[in-house]
Amino acid sequence: MNSFITIIKYDYLQRTRSYGFLITLCISLAVGYSFVPEPNANYSTIQIGGYIGVYNSAWFGYVTAIMTSVFLSLIGFYLVNSGIKTDVETKVGQIMSTTAIKNLTYLLAKTWSNFLVLLTIACLVFLMSVLLFFLYHDTGYSLEIGQFITPYLLITVPSLFLVSSLALVSEVVFGRFSVLQNISFFFLFGVLMVYALPKTNSGFMLDAFGSKIVTHQMEATVKGIIGSNENMGLNIGYVIGNSEENKRFEFNGVNFPTLFIVSRILWSLLGLLLVVSITPFFHRFDFRKSLSLKNPKAIEVPPKTTNSLTLSNLPTTQIDYGVLTLLKTEFLLLIRNGKKWMWFLNLMGMAFLGFLSMEIAHQLVLPILWFLQVSRLSELTSKEFSNEVHYFSFSSYRPITRLLFSQILAASLLLMVLATPLLIRFAFAGDFIAMTSVILGAIGIVLFAAVLGMLSKGKKLFEVLFFMISYAYINAIPFLDYFGGMNHDLPYVLKMSFIVLGLSTIGLLTRKYQLRQ
Amino acid sequence: MKLEIQNVSKRYSKEKYGLRDFSITLDKGILGLLGPNGAGKSTLLKMIATVTKPTDGMLLLNKNNIVKDPNYMRKQLGFLPQDFGVYPNLNAIEFLSYIAAMKGVGGSNLKARVEQLLEGLNLIESAHKPIGTYSGGMKQRVGIAQALLNQPKIVIFDEPTVGLDPEERVRFRNLISDLANESIVILSSHIVSDIDTIADTIAIMKNGALICTGNPEEIIKHIEGKVYETTIAKESLSEFKNIHLVVSTARKNGALLIRYISENAAPNSISCAPNLEDAYLFRTKSE
Repeated sequence: MNSFITIIKYDYLQRTRSYGFLITLCISLAVGYSFVPEPNANYSTIQIGGYIGVYNSAWFGYVTAIMTSVFLSLIGFYLVNSGIKTDVETKVGQIMSTTAIKNLTYLLAKTWSNFLVLLTIACLVFLMSVLLFFLYHDTGYSLEIGQFITPYLLITVPSLFLVSSLALVSEVVFGRFSVLQNISFFFLFGVLMVYALPKTNSGFMLDAFGSKIVTHQMEATVKGIIGSNENMGLNIGYVIGNSEENKRFEFNGVNFPTLFIVSRILWSLLGLLLVVSITPFFHRFDFRKSLSLKNPKAIEVPPKTTNSLTLSNLPTTQIDYGVLTLLKTEFLLLIRNGKKWMWFLNLMGMAFLGFLSMEIAHQLVLPILWFLQVSRLSELTSKEFSNEVHYFSFSSYRPITRLLFSQILAASLLLMVLATPLLIRFAFAGDFIAMTSVILGAIGIVLFAAVLGMLSKGKKLFEVLFFMISYAYINAIPFLDYFGGMNHDLPYVLKMSFIVLGLSTIGLLTRKYQLRQ
Repeated sequence: MKLEIQNVSKRYSKEKYGLRDFSITLDKGILGLLGPNGAGKSTLLKMIATVTKPTDGMLLLNKNNIVKDPNYMRKQLGFLPQDFGVYPNLNAIEFLSYIAAMKGVGGSNLKARVEQLLEGLNLIESAHKPIGTYSGGMKQRVGIAQALLNQPKIVIFDEPTVGLDPEERVRFRNLISDLANESIVILSSHIVSDIDTIADTIAIMKNGALICTGNPEEIIKHIEGKVYETTIAKESLSEFKNIHLVVSTARKNGALLIRYISENAAPNSISCAPNLEDAYLFRTKSE
């Protein structure tokens, strides 16, 4: 037991001292700050048929708990889904595999460490929600701490534990193919969020993130006020419009049924059960074995020969400052990243872009198809650090104008190649605004990936943010439309051009700074 | 070809230096850089390779300031870092072509040069396999090959023999002797035997500073008449170490054969001819 806790403790310390954690914490606090809009803000986060709650303890507590549960489940997965991978990369795993620790103990320790990392962020958002209450609660309402603690305890904490377990399970199941982890969670999360459950006590038990019982209670309160039994328009997310124009209702929290409380425990236990059930499939850092099963030739030692190298006999090379070879190799690296069968999905996506209606192809298929490339893009400028090739890159001839340019161009070309069927259709339809928007979107998201890769020297930050952007876009938030799916006019194209220009400048300056350092 | 390193320092904080006031001038030939871990060897090499910049001092290659104009150095540099990686999804030919492109090297002979380098380094059989499947020694040889892609005039090898088997080490030594005819070769190691027979000049570093430089004979001369061998009982070793600088110990007939450096010989000692390892240990341990 002692060693179990020690592993959790040091794994937790190692993770929370990382740059990725710090960035996620900052983003979480920034996002958490917006969960309960400032009274004059021009958006709302939870709105029921034009009603929002009065700013009392229950509203602050429940709204922030639900939003933290959803938001942290979304990005938290990407924050913690590389605990084992880190042990592979740092080679700590090899040491671990020679110790007496059992696979189950190791995996459970990793799960708890995942959970503690997410819980730390949730605790800070919780404290901020209390602080926000003091900043702009409505007059006549005092702090009721129970209205804060209860929803966090019954909604946020169990869902974070479930996500921590899922992150661990997906790491074991999909091994080192992070692209599969990212995509499978993207779809699983989408399904869990939108799946319509019956609005009954047993229905609420099946809600993985536990937020539906609260929104149902809010809806029921509003229905009671207006005396209608019709379905109210429930909006969770960032709805643009002055919150002062919304009508107000008093929300006093939820009396959680015992069955619901039991269900939260069961969901957490399900997470643990999943971890236990995948334990026999854990590689325990023995990759050669799995490699040899697939491709015995891959670990063959070549026959020993004793050639010698005489430098004066080697053909002489010439100076060639062109970027074609760099571009070709960067493109090759992008294509070879990830599993080969993923290209089947890409080809299917391209086919859909060619045959589905232009609207669906542009608004739905394209963002999903581009999201499938998340691992390729996230490693664009961070792969030099993760593969320790940066000494070669940074001592190369004109690393910015040649190498960085090739990386960005190769990735932009890849996204444009994937979007080719749609681009051709736009060209035939004479819709050059849409065409330009897609091209700018491709360049923009690639530059975004390049900049974040350079800044964080890792892939996590971009993966988390790209996931959020894609998810928010699919949930019709026009602000995050980066490829003209919802916006179709010249001002949008101009705005995107400025963004592309801005990102290029930041990328250039960042790499210059890194080279100088 | 002349490389001048003038009063170069790398300061991390007010009191913390990675390198302190280092000066040396190099011409064609091999400079062997010796020093314990943390001596500042890699910091110096990274500065020469333009990967990092000094906080003080100047680095001049043929009178060109390479701190201000790093591309002048990069055009003629071959660099094998101590900790380097590869892209595991590329094979050796693809990876070397990629590095060649980064260096601005091309032309119709590039393919043949890459293949001959791989052949000379015994990698041609595996040249079309992903580098991710290579052993540590094979990756190290890919690293050596990339440093030689561009007929470099300055070649920097930071701990190059890591992962190489004894036969490969010998061949590598021959290779850099060959290379030194036309280039400045800087070779860093803490394995003295990798350096002593091939280096024209030796520089010994400690705590970020240069503590001595010269050809191997000059450095060895400094401890002539101070190296001895004697046999002692196992139990006396600890006490012996308090008085003398022990270079090596070997078991012999139940006792210990000790090689040590001292101004005053212990009883029953035999004077020995010093070697570079003795001189290195004397400089780094006692000064």
